[in-house]
Amino acid sequence: MKLKLCCLTLLALTLGAVQTQAAKLRVVATLTDVADLTRNVGGEFVEVRSLATGIEDTHGVPLKPSFVPLMNRADLVVLVGFDCEHAFLSALLEASRNPRIQPGKAGYVDCSKGISPLDVPKSTDHSEGDVHPYGNPHYTLDPVLMESAVKTICAALIAVAPEHEADFVKNRDAYLAKLDAKITEWQATLAPFKGTKFVSYHEHWPYFAARFGLEYYGTIELKPGIDPTPHHIEDLIASMKSEHVPLVVREPQFPEKVPALIAEKTGAKLVKLPIMPGGVPNTDTYLAEMDYIVNTIANALKK
Amino acid sequence: MCAGVEKIKMKLINLLGVSSALCLCATVAQAQETNKPADVDQRLKQMQEMFEQHERDLEARFEKKIAAQDEVIRSLQQRLAAMPTNPPAAPVAGAAPPANVTGAPDAVTPEKFKALDEKVDEVVAAQKKSLPSEFNPAIGLVGETIFSQQSKGSPQNGTGYPGGFDVYQRSVELMASASIDPFAKGWVVINGSADAATGETSLDVEEAALQTTSLPANLTLTAGQFFGEFGRLSYIHDHELPFVNRPLVLDQYIGGESKTAGAQANWLVPIEHYVNLTAGFGTQFGDNPDAVGSYRSFGAVNYFGRASTYFDLSDNWQLESGASWLINPDSGNVNGELAPNGLTTLTGTKRQIFGGDLKLSYVPLRDNQFNSLTWGNEVLYSDNQYRATPTGGGSAFGESVGAWGMYSYLTYKWSRSWSGGFLFEYVQNNQDNAGRTYSYSPYITWAISHWNQLRLQYTHTQPNSATGNEPNDALYLQWTWIIGAHSHGWQGR
Repeated sequence: MKLKLCCLTLLALTLGAVQTQAAKLRVVATLTDVADLTRNVGGEFVEVRSLATGIEDTHGVPLKPSFVPLMNRADLVVLVGFDCEHAFLSALLEASRNPRIQPGKAGYVDCSKGISPLDVPKSTDHSEGDVHPYGNPHYTLDPVLMESAVKTICAALIAVAPEHEADFVKNRDAYLAKLDAKITEWQATLAPFKGTKFVSYHEHWPYFAARFGLEYYGTIELKPGIDPTPHHIEDLIASMKSEHVPLVVREPQFPEKVPALIAEKTGAKLVKLPIMPGGVPNTDTYLAEMDYIVNTIANALKK
Repeated sequence: MCAGVEKIKMKLINLLGVSSALCLCATVAQAQETNKPADVDQRLKQMQEMFEQHERDLEARFEKKIAAQDEVIRSLQQRLAAMPTNPPAAPVAGAAPPANVTGAPDAVTPEKFKALDEKVDEVVAAQKKSLPSEFNPAIGLVGETIFSQQSKGSPQNGTGYPGGFDVYQRSVELMASASIDPFAKGWVVINGSADAATGETSLDVEEAALQTTSLPANLTLTAGQFFGEFGRLSYIHDHELPFVNRPLVLDQYIGGESKTAGAQANWLVPIEHYVNLTAGFGTQFGDNPDAVGSYRSFGAVNYFGRASTYFDLSDNWQLESGASWLINPDSGNVNGELAPNGLTTLTGTKRQIFGGDLKLSYVPLRDNQFNSLTWGNEVLYSDNQYRATPTGGGSAFGESVGAWGMYSYLTYKWSRSWSGGFLFEYVQNNQDNAGRTYSYSPYITWAISHWNQLRLQYTHTQPNSATGNEPNDALYLQWTWIIGAHSHGWQGR
């Protein structure tokens, strides 16, 4: 009798635990920025796994088979969109065998929805390099546009778990309030440097530049995904000198050698900036990442 | 606004004119009926006074309305001027105007209207460009040319290439793929190639298959002609190999790529660890179709299966392994001379291949586009059973030949464009395991871009005399290019 009681108790506890776990929405986010936003909006009702750890290139997250079981069980996949994840997401979606998260389904949450892209190519010919046919996908570095992503994520969570709508809305509004306050602070920090020109390795920064009044001058890469040629580097150095470009941005996943050379030859400051949370130490959240970016630029330009 | 007011005034005057004319006509008619001039005059006078009063009232109401509208316009203009404006964004070199800004309204200027117009035009143009092709499949073309120099002539070099210098258009691969409906996708790979020895060109359907996309229980079903999942590199297209030529063991035991015409079921085991199981069958497996004969039973087709799994050893180190099995219980398609006695004709009766593969990779998360290391290995054991018929007469007898072969390669990538490695191969002849060949191939690859790649490879082949081949030194320059869409999906990762 005692044994039966023990077994039943154990079973009840196990089922309870399973049910508690099952109540959480399983979310797979492609990159750490949209993962952080989802955690903030979903709160205790979501379990978010990010495919990227933050130190990868946004287009170079390794295609690990261990991602497949995660995707297979996911209720939602949250992505940056504009083809940002072209190198890995479509193959993973295919391998996941999960109809809930396929494009067009409620579980496919494209955060670029409602955002107007920059640099939409007039042609997708490969002579222009590895162009993104829908436009530059790196809007995540514009915190104002990320407010739109927060709203998209919230709407998607409500669609699949309407019973938690009030909580999701409360979390969304609280996060947006924090983000709004930060945006004001970041704009004030960078206000003295309006019109400052800068270059970066890859085209990660046009949205950021437009938001904060900086001038995005060009890329170290010859074309998206194509390494710089010596001729391109020479041209870039010459034009940076004549235009007095004072800042070179290196994203951590790209080699330092060429950006350092350009900075040295032009006298520009070289800064290493993350392109998503976790890209450099102490930038685990989106707010921390943007804090780091804004303060690093401001400090570099002050000196 | 002024023009609008004038228009309304004109309309009003016209309306009054018409009304007056009608009233006058009515009055005249009534006057004719009564035939009393004094009354008529008085009535006309009254009518005129009424009309003038009416006109004054209307004008007063209209002026009041105009004044109210002017007040609204002034109020709106004041509110617009008082709205907070974003600091103007700096122009981005070579970039389109800034994106829309949620929650941060910009000052409305003619420049911004113009920029917005241009952006809308771009989006509309992009839609016009893509919409007509929405129903077309993704199409890509791969070209692969191989320049080679062999020290020995054909067939002694055992490579399939003619002796001396050669330029070989190994493939022109046209691939088209698209969703068929909500339940399946389809793809076709048509390959035009030249025969390495004769130079004769031919067009071959390498793949033409459909695959389900919505079966329950983590299942997918593939049917048609496709590369069956067996081993690690046998279902990879030539141009995607990490070196120039398909390993000898795959060429000899499988017959090149694992092309099969049949069906294959694939199951992703629903556990937290990655385990993938495949089982399939096909009327051929490899380059050479099975002999059809007059009647084919289910026992005369190839059955194959594969189990694969994967381990994250750390963030940067990965291990992938698999085991494969192929059996054709009644192959009947292998004809040849059994060495060393050299006096019999072989007819295959049963074909079996067992395979194991292991790939260890170092893929650093941060800079994997610039730095990686791959160590790939595959071992195959071939168990062929033949019916040997003495050519000089006598009764046939059964002959079983067990042979094994392997390859191992190490590729190191040290920049986005450059990688190099070394391939070691060993294979026993699967019709006569006394014939053995070793091969050594250093190679270097320059990926100019994703779609344009050059590879230089030197291969020394060291066969023993039982193979009938001679040691050979070869130099290959492979140039691969891709235009259009190109992806072999998860399988081709």
